[in-house]
Amino acid sequence: MTRKPVPLMLLALLSMAPGARAAGAPDGDIADLTLEQLNEIVVTSVSRQEEKLGNAAASLYVISATDIRRSGARSLPEALRLAPNLEVARVDARNYAISARGFNNPFANKLLVLIDGRSVYSPFFSAVFWDAQSVVMEDIERIEVISGPGSTIWGVNAVNGVINIITRNAKDSQGALLSVAASSGEGDASLRFGGKLSSNGYYRAYAQAMAAQDTDNEQGANTFTGMQRRQAGFRADWDLEGGSIALSGDAYQANLGQFNTRDIRLSGANMVGRYMRQLADGNDLRLQLVLDHTERNQPNAYVDRLDTAELEGQHDIRLGSHKLSWGGGYRYSRDDNSPGPGFGFWPYQRSMHWGNLFAQDEIALTPSLRATGGVKVEHNTYTGAEVLPTLRLAWSPDGKQTVWGALSRTVRAPSRTDRDFVLPPAPVMIGGQPRFTVGTSPDFDSEVAKVLELGYRAQPAHNWSYAVTAWYSEYDKLRTLEPNTTPGPYRGVLEFRNLAEGRTRGIEFWARWQPILRWRLNAGLVVQDIDTSLKPGSKDATAAGLVINDPSSYWQLRSSHELSEHVQLDWTLRYNGSMPKPYVPSYHELDANLVWNVRPNINVALAGENLLHARHAEWGAYPGRSVFERRAVLKLTMRY
Amino acid sequence: MVSASLTTYAAPPQPAGAWRNRLPLLLAMLLLAFSCLSVDAQQGGPAPVTERSVKAAFLYKFLGYMEFPVEPGPSLVVGVLGADDVAAELAQITNGRNVGSRSISVRKLSDGDALNGLALLFIGADAALPAASLRAAEKNGTVTVTEQDNGLQIGSVINFRLVDERVRFEVSLPAAERCNVRLSSRLLSVAYHVQKGGQ
Repeated sequence: MTRKPVPLMLLALLSMAPGARAAGAPDGDIADLTLEQLNEIVVTSVSRQEEKLGNAAASLYVISATDIRRSGARSLPEALRLAPNLEVARVDARNYAISARGFNNPFANKLLVLIDGRSVYSPFFSAVFWDAQSVVMEDIERIEVISGPGSTIWGVNAVNGVINIITRNAKDSQGALLSVAASSGEGDASLRFGGKLSSNGYYRAYAQAMAAQDTDNEQGANTFTGMQRRQAGFRADWDLEGGSIALSGDAYQANLGQFNTRDIRLSGANMVGRYMRQLADGNDLRLQLVLDHTERNQPNAYVDRLDTAELEGQHDIRLGSHKLSWGGGYRYSRDDNSPGPGFGFWPYQRSMHWGNLFAQDEIALTPSLRATGGVKVEHNTYTGAEVLPTLRLAWSPDGKQTVWGALSRTVRAPSRTDRDFVLPPAPVMIGGQPRFTVGTSPDFDSEVAKVLELGYRAQPAHNWSYAVTAWYSEYDKLRTLEPNTTPGPYRGVLEFRNLAEGRTRGIEFWARWQPILRWRLNAGLVVQDIDTSLKPGSKDATAAGLVINDPSSYWQLRSSHELSEHVQLDWTLRYNGSMPKPYVPSYHELDANLVWNVRPNINVALAGENLLHARHAEWGAYPGRSVFERRAVLKLTMRY
Repeated sequence: MVSASLTTYAAPPQPAGAWRNRLPLLLAMLLLAFSCLSVDAQQGGPAPVTERSVKAAFLYKFLGYMEFPVEPGPSLVVGVLGADDVAAELAQITNGRNVGSRSISVRKLSDGDALNGLALLFIGADAALPAASLRAAEKNGTVTVTEQDNGLQIGSVINFRLVDERVRFEVSLPAAERCNVRLSSRLLSVAYHVQKGGQ
């Protein structure tokens, strides 16, 4: 009961917030303002971006830069909590489990994540290392979250969703920015500077650092999962007549805590070059080159170095009522793994190749009815060619509502973790033949999903809109860990196979309502049934094979409120249903963020996180799992 | 890594009492009530401004900082395509206002409408074929304004962007030259980005 007063006290404080007002907003007629004054007005609106998205025949939610700033989110995983169609569970000080439509896990392998077109889904690990991903939060333009398959455009592994993190054009991030945030246990700082280059070019460069203390587990013991990260990078953009060039790069280093060893060390660097050209009316060309290096040195586990080069191109053509897109790409990765004492990857080094070609046509059958058909064929080192088709239909009778449906087939292709994982790292020789306890798993095939989606999206009035999506997915060949019955060289006692299947269904719903200009409400709800089963013949008995642990429902209610011209209050109440294996109780939590714009270029934010409970857990088995405590965060942002 | 998912399943801890399940709802209601009350209390404060009204005001202002190649006649016609809300706002703003001695008339356009006789054309985010409309407008010597990421790249003269929650505009001088419009230095000095020719 003693927990109750904290949020109430916060509210009491907020109600005393100064109702300051100053120049900036017009008191008279907006048309009487000068160009310079118009340039400085901070606008409040239902974003046009959202309205434009009303056309998409997919379950797409966009997190805007404003949403991120006002929520106070200081990391990518925390910002992703704003998407109602994502399951986000914090595992410990540095790890998160993030997925859409089930199969959530710290090693969730069915969700593709891209930062400015660069995939951060690891082909070594078939998951996203969230501890290695960071951007300057203020430089995010938007985050597009698509739940459901996106393979026809984005390729294998976009099984349950795609997250596109898009940073701002350098011309939109000019000048200096300093942001510093501190709380008990965590802190971060970013410094960015943007300027002009010759010939219609702009750049920005940044440096940032963060530190998170170890969390405690349910019994108050240290989990040794804290981390520190340092990162620097740049982005340059050039406007050409009829086109543009973007070049960006980042380099980072991090130390992660681990019980009873020295720190895990991460480092990496990447470079992305992108050329876009508007060839003619509605005909666009896009070429992109990505170079990426990551290194993960984990004592007692492995040292992994992964180098990737990727080239891809896309051409959009408009022909009468057809909007045709086609393109292709090639990616090469070399993974070099030095095993530790516990487990390894066999062979230690592997070169991997991916090649793809795709074509998609969107046909306007009538002015209000659009059909989209497309297929991508992607070839990978392990399973050869994978076919990824989709068929979509969207009917927009009056521009204020869209009914859509989609049928897709998508796959998750094997990574080194699925095929090459071995235990122990060095084989025991039996009769001159190497033998492992677990792995290798040459029989592991791609996991396949067939997905049916039906959606309805409407904007009955300019200040409110909603979207509902229902889905049904059939999964086949899900990963299991089985006794190895087919001996051969390099084969172990256990191996990964594909002897499970699953059916998932659910409804995603979200709505936005802006009853008055000062106040906006967002609500989101997902109800789902994630059901998997072992096939006859499977002897999977561990959690290493078939892993699922999803809530049957989760929801959020978010309020964004202009208390006065200079003070904004946002709060989010979220609920996560209980999870069965391992059992995690359901929880409600409340986060609030109060932003005070002291001057047009300076703001101070006070955030309260996890206000409802002294501590709560989001993932893992009792009592070893991390708990997250109620706390306050103070943040200062300055721009010049 | 994989070992981390080989977790043992512990017995569920005791769930909390039922009162706790009702607390969040109670709290949500409190917060909502608070929001409503504080909204009520400040109806007198300065009204927040919408993106569409700032864009409409800019469009009206732009007319005063342009020299059109041909004498446009007694009235300046502004076409608004794919942005009905901006058209409504602009019509309201310009009602009873002149640019010099000329009155302003606003024409709300739909995809496929003829684009002749316009001094200025705003192509909103909802326009189906913005590039085609831009080309048609350029042929008529109409100054074009867009609101999309690559607006200048597809040929518009002025492009709105939302930067740090403010409506900013960028200008393409080559595109202005193509439709023979002269933009005042004042307009160019307020633009946050001026794309020059010679690429």
